[in-house]
Amino acid sequence: MSGHRAISTSAMLRPSTAQKAGRVALILLALLLLSGFLVLPVIAVFTQALSQGWKMYRDSIHQEDVLSALRLTGLVACIAVPLNMAFGIAASWAITRFEFLGKSLLITLIDIPLAVSPVVAGLMYVEVFGLHGWLGPWLSEHNLHVIFAVPGIVLATVFVTFPFVARELIPFMQAQGSDEEVAAVVLGANGWSVFWRITLPNIKWALLYGTILAASRSIGEFGAVSVVSGHIRGQTTTLPLEVEMLYNEYNFTAAFAAASLLTLAAIVTLILKKLIEMTSGVHRHMDEKEVES
Amino acid sequence: MSIQVEQISKTYGSFTALVDVSLTIASGELVALLGPSGSGKTTLLRLIAGLEAPNSGSILLHGEEATERSASKRGIGFVFQHYALFRHMTISENIAFGLRVQSRRLRPSRKEIRDRVRELLHLVQLDSYAGMYPEQLSGGQRQRVALARALAVRPSVLLLDEPFSALDAKVRKDLRDWLRRIHDELHVTTVLVTHDQEEALEVADRVAILNQGKLEQIGTPQSIYDNPASPFVYNFLGNVNLFHGRLLADLSSQGHSGATNESAQSAIGFVRPHELELSRDLPPDNKAVVATVARIHAAGPQIRLELNIAGNTRPVTAELSRKQFEELALVTGDELFVWPQSMRLFDDPKSEALLLDQGAGI
Repeated sequence: MSGHRAISTSAMLRPSTAQKAGRVALILLALLLLSGFLVLPVIAVFTQALSQGWKMYRDSIHQEDVLSALRLTGLVACIAVPLNMAFGIAASWAITRFEFLGKSLLITLIDIPLAVSPVVAGLMYVEVFGLHGWLGPWLSEHNLHVIFAVPGIVLATVFVTFPFVARELIPFMQAQGSDEEVAAVVLGANGWSVFWRITLPNIKWALLYGTILAASRSIGEFGAVSVVSGHIRGQTTTLPLEVEMLYNEYNFTAAFAAASLLTLAAIVTLILKKLIEMTSGVHRHMDEKEVES
Repeated sequence: MSIQVEQISKTYGSFTALVDVSLTIASGELVALLGPSGSGKTTLLRLIAGLEAPNSGSILLHGEEATERSASKRGIGFVFQHYALFRHMTISENIAFGLRVQSRRLRPSRKEIRDRVRELLHLVQLDSYAGMYPEQLSGGQRQRVALARALAVRPSVLLLDEPFSALDAKVRKDLRDWLRRIHDELHVTTVLVTHDQEEALEVADRVAILNQGKLEQIGTPQSIYDNPASPFVYNFLGNVNLFHGRLLADLSSQGHSGATNESAQSAIGFVRPHELELSRDLPPDNKAVVATVARIHAAGPQIRLELNIAGNTRPVTAELSRKQFEELALVTGDELFVWPQSMRLFDDPKSEALLLDQGAGI
């Protein structure tokens, strides 16, 4: 019985010529689809951006509006990403190391930004902080501008990128367990030194990984930012919004030149992500953990 | 430093981990907490360490109330089942950790720390591993590093939570003997949690047996092995044959050892495999049953037999020396006479009176 099964298995492993041909065909089809959906569009972005020549490309980027959009995007990322790192670490620490009332509610809350459409997220902020929103009158009395201003863009970006760090850290910290931290406490370390000497060094690669994903999303975020920004050129326009505005003005070369910057940022993100995976084994490590236990 | 556990109870939600446990451990003693999983032994250890808080009762260290004291202030060394070494630090850094995190006032100088680390590396026989990382070491070596790290701060109490259970049998045995030698050298009060009765009986000065959150018995290895206080303890400390039976007048009057209850009709008899006598001939007093040899396990210093006895649903295990085995010249399927040298009787809680062969009373 078992011998019979062994024979049939090895027969399955050794494919016939027809099966081999089928395999090659499927692989080719997959490659074709992949290049059609992913590679060609990326190439198209750069071809279109450079279609009027290198000088035109440079001039398109060196426009004051594009540069200001670039600066704003950078600024927003510089505020949103560290905030999310802090939130992400705090939330993962609390969720993986402690038992408390409302823990599952917190886990659900972290996922909300992934479930809610970014446009809805933007509208929520308008409803709360807008001129006719709940806090609007009070804010305008004190001359504070949130909606159609930079704070609103930052808020919307923080909301949308909120889950990235936490979702990367929670499974990682769960797999690592708290043994090392408990060991450090028993050896006399206080909470602060446990965090700096044990927790942070252990999660650094996963943290960096999540941070890069958050940064990439905060640079590319369109929907939520679009609702709260007000599209004021040179003031509240981030790079993705600038791309859309240029495109709607039929200024294709400039639109694609700006878009190529976003594409480059995405490519850099992917390379960094791959490098982290290779040097740290963030994801490899988790697999090993599972096999061990 | 002595440890006093006074009427400790601990529950986790609806699960009761410990009920009213009291226990005193003398300074310099090595006590093993032994029990099956879920018996509360690890919970008790974590309570002593301050990693958990009891629902009621108190813990005294060196005669001082310490129930509310935080784990980092109890002056204990803790060794975890899965080592819990700091994976991003070298072996020396791991061992030095407890010294380096001390407040500036108490912290030894860099040179003193270096010397102490070297001394401990030598103690755990890992002198040449100082610069390596935990993942480069074997399980047994890692656990030795964990012990060195725990000892670095000169704890007054050493707590070990199933320290050898993740290791293979040979390494476990070596480390066990080695732990005992270290203890004899340092005389630090030690509490060892284990589910391995052999480990507990071999290493500890005294063994505390826990079952379902209660302390069943505490005593020296020999005293609990020779005089188990309950059927559970009897069962837990090694192989045992169980005989459900009805207590017969002639049996109890014959002075079989054990706490017999004269009024009880049904009882359980416990006989260790080596306490069974075997013979080809009927003994002179006729008090024996006939058994058939079902299996022979001949690997090891003792020969182990599985015997089928008519009327007993489960096979009975007997152990005999090689010499005796050769004298009897047994093969599978042979019939022979079996009777207990001694038997310990407890009340049968289930009262399933099974009248077995009258002659032997089993």
